[in-house]
Amino acid sequence: MTDEQPAAPPQRVRVTAPRNGPPAASAPARTGPIRRPTPGAAGVAPHAPTSDIQGVYVRSLIRSQLRIGLVFAAGFAVATALFAIALALTPALDVWTIAGVPVSWLLLAVGVYPLALTVAAIYVRAASRNEARYRSLSELGDEERP
Amino acid sequence: MNPAIGYVAIAAVAIASALIGFYGLRVSRTTSDFYVASRTVRPWWNASAIGGEYLSAASFLGIAGLILLTGSDALWFPIGYTAGYLMLLLFVAAPLRRSGAYTIPDFTEARLESPWARRVTSILVIVIGWFYIVPQLQGAALTVRIATGLPSWVGSVAVAVIVAGVVAAGGMRSITFVQAFQFWLKLTALAVPVFALLFVVASGAPAALPPVEAFPPSAGPGDHDVYRTVSLMVALLLGALGLPHVLVRFYTNPDGDAARRTTLIVLGLLSVFYLFPTAFGLLGRAFAPDLATTGEADALVLLLPGRLVPGLWGDLLTALVIGGAFAAFLSTSSGLVVSLAGVISQDLLGGSVRGFRIAAVASAMVPLLVALATEPAGLAGSVGLVFAFTASTLCPVLLLGIWWRGLTARGAIAGMITGAVLSGAAILGGAAISAAVPGVRPLLEQPAAWTVPIAVLVTVFVSRADRGRVPRGVDAFLSRLHVPEHETR
Repeated sequence: MTDEQPAAPPQRVRVTAPRNGPPAASAPARTGPIRRPTPGAAGVAPHAPTSDIQGVYVRSLIRSQLRIGLVFAAGFAVATALFAIALALTPALDVWTIAGVPVSWLLLAVGVYPLALTVAAIYVRAASRNEARYRSLSELGDEERP
Repeated sequence: MNPAIGYVAIAAVAIASALIGFYGLRVSRTTSDFYVASRTVRPWWNASAIGGEYLSAASFLGIAGLILLTGSDALWFPIGYTAGYLMLLLFVAAPLRRSGAYTIPDFTEARLESPWARRVTSILVIVIGWFYIVPQLQGAALTVRIATGLPSWVGSVAVAVIVAGVVAAGGMRSITFVQAFQFWLKLTALAVPVFALLFVVASGAPAALPPVEAFPPSAGPGDHDVYRTVSLMVALLLGALGLPHVLVRFYTNPDGDAARRTTLIVLGLLSVFYLFPTAFGLLGRAFAPDLATTGEADALVLLLPGRLVPGLWGDLLTALVIGGAFAAFLSTSSGLVVSLAGVISQDLLGGSVRGFRIAAVASAMVPLLVALATEPAGLAGSVGLVFAFTASTLCPVLLLGIWWRGLTARGAIAGMITGAVLSGAAILGGAAISAAVPGVRPLLEQPAAWTVPIAVLVTVFVSRADRGRVPRGVDAFLSRLHVPEHETR
């Protein structure tokens, strides 16, 4: 990052978030609410893989997060497309009006938002579950190492 | 319309914004504000702030105008603006928060370990920001003209000067609560008039067009141009990922998990907000169809309350929508000017406070010149084209940078330049080219469906050819993006 780039202007201060320290292998859960900035700031990744097995876990976490992202995106796209096709192929919806507005217009105006919200809510849980699985795997891996 | 209402509403919002800006000078002087914010800002506040910054002239005025003008095709715009946050949630929110990058150029430089990748990204961010501010200023011109009868340029100049002044003075920075307040102001300024209008219409006041004329099937969901709709969706869904002013807001989330929850709430807030411009558009088709023929479609939201509600109540509702519209121009423009000024001052002017002030003025004045020199097109359409450009340039780099370890600096630069040239040529030269070759018109007017895949392919192929130069720190960086922050919870 910047520290390793001689060409970058040296005086720039990158605003970085307060982070937890690197995950010490045998450390218990956080002991308090205080969060410390990582020493060395941007130049040091706080979760640099410490061993091959950790690297495998991280790669599998990235793969599974990408997989659920793509699955949910595809699900949303397919469902939206089917919805639009169904509206287009049902001319009766153009004739039937509620308060003077054809139902096909009303459905297109409000129909996709609940779908997007549902997909998003399920995804948030799935992504957190992936991370929880990673955490328990990597803690297990740490304990098995001498 | 009574000009006095217009003057009062615009002056009130302008003065309030300036006061908040200068008050913000006292509370937001140091970078440590970000540290404080990152610990204390709740997802709900953060989400409101993102909504406040995101909802621009295109959302507030443009969508209703486009529904009036083109019918149900325009209903895809708010869907795309909202679902863009779904894509942000699925692919970007948590990793980008964990990257610690504060701007997209910061991210590309850290990920690709290349100052050149940073420079190209910075230039694109500046161009995108400028062209995103232009429709805001054009919306301001329209609003001032309709509300007060003054010439159009007054509105553009007023917004540009207020925004440049407030940002250069140091205000409007990191003030989550101000932007959060702006969201609720904009929502109120549309929701109250919509409920009032529905009440008036339900009690049977004015004569509406019969449904067959107001909502003809030829403008309805049964008669879509499939290519245009798909291409618009690609642009809006992916373009939202790269907007420079929105990314900053994610920074105030304490961790990746909170970033995801914030994004989920943003989706909910936008879903509710967009019901109201949509309602305005549908009401407009039934009660103000003449605006579509006089070229004033984007003024629908401003004019409809006065037409349907007589007397004092109509004046008050009109004042409310004018104030809300002005709040939309000011908040989006100042968010953009802050991010642009940050990028310009860091990359070109050495990052000093004085540099930031010069950059803030430049960030507002260049789009002002463009806005004054060009004929305003429809607001929603102009913003849609900016999304198409963003989707073709920044989005491939962001997505591949987060998810693919093979991305190299050369691949990223090649992809960004390809996307910029193709979509830029389609947007700027579209009218001339399609006059010569009529068949390609839809391809040029909605270019995202072909420019985004080409940009992605170029990025991937050049990166593969250049695979010896995959950054050495890539594994550490990717694990930083994806590994959850806390050991246990």
